Amino acid sequence: MKKLGLFILICSAIVMGTISAHAADVIKVGVPLAMTGPYTDTGDNYWKGIKMAIDEINAAGGLLGKQLDPVRFDTQEFAPERVMQGADYLCGQEKVDSVHAGWAGWGQDVRAYGKYTAPFFADDGSQAAVDVFREDPKKYANIFQLTDTDINQATSMFNVLMALPHDYPNKKVVIINADDAWGMGVGDTLEANFKKEGWEVALREVVPYGTREWGSIMTRVRRIKPAIIHVEIVSAPEVITFFRQFMRTPTPSILSYGYSIVPREVVQTMGKEADGLIGEVPTAMPTPEAPTPEAQAWVERFTGIWKHQPQAGSWAAYSGVKAWAAAVVAVGDEKNHAAVAKHISTEGYKGETGWWKWDEDNVMRGGGDVPFGHYQVQNGEMVTIFTDPPVKPYKDYKFITPRWIK
Amino acid sequence: MILEYLDVFISGLTNGSVYALMAVGLTLVYGVSKAFNFAYGSFYSLGGYFAWVLMVLVGLWGGYIVVFALAVPFLMGFGFVTEKLIIAPLRKRSDWEVKVMMITLGLALFMDNGFQVLFGPRMKSLPPLMEGAVSLGDIYIANQDIMIFVLSVSGILAFRWVLNNTRIGMAVRAVAQNPAGAKIVGIPKNRIFAATFGISTVMVGVGGILLAQKYFVSPMGGWDILVKSWVITAFGGMGSIRGGLLAAFILGMLEAFVGYWFGLSWVLFALFAVLLTTLAIRPQGLMGKWG
Amino acid sequence: MSATMALVFGIMAVLPLFVGGTAHMMHILIMCLIWAVVASCWDLIMGFAGIFSFGQVAFFVIGAYASAIFSIQLGIHPLAAMVLAGLVTAAAGVLVGLPCMRLKGAYIALVTFAVHMILEPFLKSGMGRALGTGGTRGILTIPPMELFGITFAADNKIAVFYAALALAVICSAIIMLVIRSSWGTAFLALKDSQDFAASLGVSAFKYKLAVFALTSFLTGLVGGFYAHYIGMLSTRLLGIDLFVMLMIMLVLGGIGQFPGAILGAIMTVIGNEMLAPLGAYRPLVLGALVVVLVLLLPDGIMGLLRSLVPHKVAEQVRQG
Repeated sequence: MKKLGLFILICSAIVMGTISAHAADVIKVGVPLAMTGPYTDTGDNYWKGIKMAIDEINAAGGLLGKQLDPVRFDTQEFAPERVMQGADYLCGQEKVDSVHAGWAGWGQDVRAYGKYTAPFFADDGSQAAVDVFREDPKKYANIFQLTDTDINQATSMFNVLMALPHDYPNKKVVIINADDAWGMGVGDTLEANFKKEGWEVALREVVPYGTREWGSIMTRVRRIKPAIIHVEIVSAPEVITFFRQFMRTPTPSILSYGYSIVPREVVQTMGKEADGLIGEVPTAMPTPEAPTPEAQAWVERFTGIWKHQPQAGSWAAYSGVKAWAAAVVAVGDEKNHAAVAKHISTEGYKGETGWWKWDEDNVMRGGGDVPFGHYQVQNGEMVTIFTDPPVKPYKDYKFITPRWIK
Repeated sequence: MILEYLDVFISGLTNGSVYALMAVGLTLVYGVSKAFNFAYGSFYSLGGYFAWVLMVLVGLWGGYIVVFALAVPFLMGFGFVTEKLIIAPLRKRSDWEVKVMMITLGLALFMDNGFQVLFGPRMKSLPPLMEGAVSLGDIYIANQDIMIFVLSVSGILAFRWVLNNTRIGMAVRAVAQNPAGAKIVGIPKNRIFAATFGISTVMVGVGGILLAQKYFVSPMGGWDILVKSWVITAFGGMGSIRGGLLAAFILGMLEAFVGYWFGLSWVLFALFAVLLTTLAIRPQGLMGKWG
Repeated sequence: MSATMALVFGIMAVLPLFVGGTAHMMHILIMCLIWAVVASCWDLIMGFAGIFSFGQVAFFVIGAYASAIFSIQLGIHPLAAMVLAGLVTAAAGVLVGLPCMRLKGAYIALVTFAVHMILEPFLKSGMGRALGTGGTRGILTIPPMELFGITFAADNKIAVFYAALALAVICSAIIMLVIRSSWGTAFLALKDSQDFAASLGVSAFKYKLAVFALTSFLTGLVGGFYAHYIGMLSTRLLGIDLFVMLMIMLVLGGIGQFPGAILGAIMTVIGNEMLAPLGAYRPLVLGALVVVLVLLLPDGIMGLLRSLVPHKVAEQVRQG
């Protein structure tokens, strides 16, 4: 019995011991990302951008003369209490002065970090998150979205599909999306847009992650012979197996992959085999040639450090850190969270491609100097063919009719 | 229309041969030693990563034949040692069944995250085993799928033959049917348990290599395999290899046709509905025996 | 048994004096209490009743969603919603339990785990949305509980903590009473020899179904508490992470070693936080820990304590 008591006492002592003291000459920056579990890959993309920004600022003498100190938190699979725990840990206990996340909880994060004041940057791409924000914009004034919503991104995908220099043989479309918030948001928006334009949505499939055999869908696709097939599953094995099984007996359809073009493995694994696929990236750094010399220099720095082309999300997360740092310099006090947040939302930030301006919902809407990028895989690499809005061709890059359409 | 059904039927056969390959090792271990292996999916990934290391990282000469030749002893040894180290010590306890489930769950967590730390979170791909396709009129069948079908069905049948016709096979069956009796007639029971575990690891690991070149390898990719194999073995009757084979093809067909008629999102519901109905009527599965 | 529980909960009760000011710490302590109940229920069904149920997380999520939906759609008081959610979960438990009565070992594990697997697509589906689950978005606004003028919400963690403590004490007391009652004896008899127990007139059917109903009820109730505390829900609760964590709590505490599960829950939640600096290596260490613990401490911490404490005292502790 005594030993049991002792044991429990030791346990509770350890609990209290974890409350650590913090140093004064650094600025703590919270980084809640998935470090384990199924979202590790995306977490890694964001981390590379955030780390690069922090290292650059520190190398240049720090922020207001203080070094930035990233405090990481593993958000695992974004269970509600995990998201809240991240906020309580980073903002409540570690008292960080800004939080840089990527995918962060699609609305759950707004609730959790809205209780605190530190500026919070997420890449949710979710109308749900914006809806939560609108309930109380004053309370959530510290929440910033680095990308536009699923609805606006899907509308942009639709607009570019309609603007492609390509004669559609019919007005039939097949939409296949994953059964998560992002997939459903894009799928629903596309379906509505196509119907409005008088297209027939001949097949709408909602599929679980982990799908590898597409035989039964391919059978139906071959009967429908749609002009467009849109696949929205942000996971490489699913979209690669889909492509390969489609290519056995292809129909003359434009294959539009939306945001599912971004897992690096798609291009890395398939190389030139993937030529012809089109896709979209919000808050995009257009490639292979960036729009400005500064942006080009950024791409080269990134590639130099991490030895591969920047992934979707890396640049957005990088810019979040830089936008916050610029605001802190302007305000002159990293602890004045309200002023820093106000500065970001009213003044914006001048980045590598031009100005970042957040709208009244603190969402970085696509357009201006930071448009949506629309890509086609050509010669085994992603090439920007359009930017939107407004839909316009990017530099001299041209859409090439895929090889399976004769 | 007939043609379409034929097309879906072929999808079903493809699914079925993949499932058979996944599930047979699980049913074997359960049948012989009553141990339910939660790390089964991780063993599948182990096979895939083993092949990736040899073929892509090391750039081994000789292609898949050499990989399989090296994989079999490696997986056999891995399974054998795992059984000896973490499962055999638990066998003495009265509640060992649940302990085995827990320890293998821990092992799965360890292995999956080990893969992630070692190889990174992104998927890995292997060169294709075979390219091209056979075309019969409007129907195309990928050579890859034919290969998987032939290898999985012939592999399982060969394995059944070994069980039924060789001394080792008979010893395994004796242990499965009556462990105490087997011990009395001098069969080294514990070694048979470990060997069965090793064989099952070989089967799922080799299956992992075969499927990895089509479906890729990723650190958490084993969970789907575990759940599917579990459903198939329970449906077919745990411990029955013939039942497992039958179940794999029935469920493969079910998946293809439900996907074709209603959509892929209904497949999981249909799968469990069929499983529950079957278990309600036959608690031991299609061909299983009690115990 | 009751002495150990009193000691554990007693120590928990004074901890806010030291860490009450830190929201993060309080959150961890609250989660300790919530998972303690869920793990204890699991222990009752798996360790004592000998049913390999793998549906515990699913029942927890059913309770959480049910309570949230009741309070939002019907506008009833969260406390009433929690009780109703418990009843709904109990009904679900009985429904799942029925087919399990005829099954054995790994089959029961599969059927109950099937509930877990099916739940996510169901909550996301059109049917789920019609019920008010919010589909893939989840439920982002759940009213907090208000009682005696106190709001038990995420920003008032001390109040939530004591409410959770009260709930945990009540649930643990119920579980303890069950284990000590004739039910507990019946379970032991059933576990040792089902046939013999049946010949003595112990109905496996009745007892097993009742334990499904009871543990589901308590789990659903706590799930409801969780929903009103956190204020939001998503299907991401059904990931493998939580399932494995609960499993570790049981292994650590000792299966069938109540109140080991309570100790296991507290140690696992706190230990998991302490491992956080390991980043990607954390689950690796957790996995290795499970393997080592099952081998070295087959009866968990509780078993270790019993072997350390002289037998007589242990017996007294057990008897309370």
